[in-house]
Amino acid sequence: MRPWLSTARGALPFVVLVAAWAAVSGAGVMPAMFLPGPGDVARTGWEMAKDGSLWVNIGASLGRVLLGVVISVPMAVAAGIVVGLNRRLASVLEPVASFFNALSGIAWLPLAITWFGLGWASVTFILWNTIFFLVFFNTLVGVRTVPRIFEQAVRTLGGARRHVILQVLLPGAMPSIVTGLRMSIGFGWRALIAAEMIATTTGLGFLIFNAQNFHQTDAILAGIITIGILWLLTDRLVLQPLERWTIERWGLVSSS
Amino acid sequence: MSRRETAVTWVVLLAAFLAAWSLASATLPVPPYFLPPPTAVAAAFVDLVAKGILPVYVMESLGRILLAAAVALVIAVPLGLLLGMSRGVADFMYPILNFFQSVSGIAWLPLMLVWFGFGEKTILIAVNYTVIFPVLFNALLGVRSVPRIYVNALRTLGGSRWRIVRDVMIPGALPNIATGMRLGLAYGWRALIAAEMLVGANGLGFMIFSAQSFHLTARIMLGMAVIGALWLLLDYFVLRPVEAATIARWGLVQR
Amino acid sequence: MTAKIAVRGLHHEYVNPFTRERVTALDGVDLEVPEGEFLSVVGPSGCGKSTLLGILAGLIQATRGEVLLDGRPVVGPGPDRGVVFQEFAILPWRTVERNIAHGLEIQGVPKAERATTVKRFVELVGLKGFERKYPHELSGGMKQRVAVARTLAANPQVMLMDEPFAAVDAQTRITLQEELNAIVQATRKTILFVTHNVEEAVFLGDRCCVLSRHPGRVKALVPVSIPRAQRTWKLFTSDHAFDATKERVLKLVREEVSGGEQV
Repeated sequence: MRPWLSTARGALPFVVLVAAWAAVSGAGVMPAMFLPGPGDVARTGWEMAKDGSLWVNIGASLGRVLLGVVISVPMAVAAGIVVGLNRRLASVLEPVASFFNALSGIAWLPLAITWFGLGWASVTFILWNTIFFLVFFNTLVGVRTVPRIFEQAVRTLGGARRHVILQVLLPGAMPSIVTGLRMSIGFGWRALIAAEMIATTTGLGFLIFNAQNFHQTDAILAGIITIGILWLLTDRLVLQPLERWTIERWGLVSSS
Repeated sequence: MSRRETAVTWVVLLAAFLAAWSLASATLPVPPYFLPPPTAVAAAFVDLVAKGILPVYVMESLGRILLAAAVALVIAVPLGLLLGMSRGVADFMYPILNFFQSVSGIAWLPLMLVWFGFGEKTILIAVNYTVIFPVLFNALLGVRSVPRIYVNALRTLGGSRWRIVRDVMIPGALPNIATGMRLGLAYGWRALIAAEMLVGANGLGFMIFSAQSFHLTARIMLGMAVIGALWLLLDYFVLRPVEAATIARWGLVQR
Repeated sequence: MTAKIAVRGLHHEYVNPFTRERVTALDGVDLEVPEGEFLSVVGPSGCGKSTLLGILAGLIQATRGEVLLDGRPVVGPGPDRGVVFQEFAILPWRTVERNIAHGLEIQGVPKAERATTVKRFVELVGLKGFERKYPHELSGGMKQRVAVARTLAANPQVMLMDEPFAAVDAQTRITLQEELNAIVQATRKTILFVTHNVEEAVFLGDRCCVLSRHPGRVKALVPVSIPRAQRTWKLFTSDHAFDATKERVLKLVREEVSGGEQV
């Protein structure tokens, strides 16, 4: 199907949604302050874009995500492989990793604030731990489920430990790792927004929570829409291609 | 590896962990409230249980998440199945549901605060929203993913529309529904904690957040442990058995 | 006497979703199947035999032409025309016995009667002892046996089988064919059996309908004169008459295949 046609088709539901929104807000069912129309929200969004406040906050949020990913992922993958290599350690640490997984995210915030105070350090810590534990757990599971026969094959070809790691375990665990990455950014993004509401003065979470203080519902809605768009873009432009590029290319898993 | 070996390794690791923690707590050059020793956390546990405070907080949080689970089952699953049955409707709703699913209930919290103020309603709306959308979305996907051939087989047996829904659509969509529930509740539990921190007057999220302002770090750690443990219990004793009873029994693969 | 199945001037076109071209699947098919006959339908790939079956089943609406069952036009799928599909279409979340019972459930047959009927068909297809198993625990051949049992148990007027043994291994296939033969003798149903395997078509059919290559038309109708009670694979490989019929059908099909080949 021609690309512009399919984009138009994808946009249609949103066009209808926005139209419905305009109808509801225009009907005056609720006071204008409670539900501003799409026009007002767009205007406010545009102003925030013009005066730079939108970009500053987007930058802060995205920057934290990026920082979190860059710090956590290599650590988590390395740790997952190291632990995964040792059967005994792996079987013991797996439930531990599972527990920390269950705990990850916003529940760490009070502790983080105790240790790092309010500000970007606490927020980044939340992101770090969400991404780290999930990717670590997934790497661990991924490494453990690589069929032993591949390892044996490389060994019989004269491969040393590093060959096994780089040529068998890492690629073999890739589907799990990438899934973990995708999920962790999903969880992490949500934890980030919540953490920014509580613990800091920049970022999209802060933007919408602060706007609530002044009952600026148009700014809130502009912020929410920005959050949604950013996440969809991240998923569509970064995460899905990553999944395609690794997993599907190697024919390991069929895409849903 | 034998059970005894596992148990021994566990004990050794746990002991080492606790020892390292206690040591760090005693020797690190930080204020005492930074890193209370494990004994302080245990003491806080005993204290809060004896006073009946912890059980109340647990019940409050659990109650909210279980309510959201019930709402998702009763409303989101049937709605998702219904929307999924028509190809046109499903294709139309897909991007919208995807969008709303990816915006956590917490992001809507500021708007809810303007509408309903700092109260129970706001928390419940945020949490229910967070749980409902993944369930709705996945139920819709589940229906669409049922192989057409099963539907055709029922049609050639004379099955009515309702029969097809009952005997093919619902069981066929079950793996996706289970995934949706798991994901929805995972997001929801976290959104709940966040909402309780932001809005709260009660619940585990409020407990650990307010403990921070009084530097009751042992209480924070206790609360965190309870939060993690509760989720694991929920996952292990409720969600996984449901998955096992249906999907594993039918040999269906879930993606 | 009205034929059980009558197809007149059947014509079917559709639009290929990928290339946007109009494709003619069937171009004027005329056929009559008397009651109790087992008609094999063979032809080269793409000749439209599965389309023909789909139209008879009521799952596809033909663009032109008539399809009559007992003189009445076919409108949509229904229990009067049972279908055994090529891919495994038994429900993974039902046990063997619940799958076989499905048609009876739909028809509102009371529980006790259902149980007896299911038992009969479980034994007929040789799945005794497997009643409580789920499809994923069965082999391909067993799954198709369940599918056949399910269709038969619903007591259709006519059975439509779309390459039902294509997805099974060769050995199982032979066994299934012989079993089907026994079932046919026992039940005397009118059956339309689509296959691309000429030997299978001749082994099973009272007549073989050879379709021409795309777009499909009836090229020839070849009777198979060996009495069904005598048909075994052993006979098939040794008997002269059997062999001659097979060769004849094979030649007809080959003509269609090579006619389409690009030199």
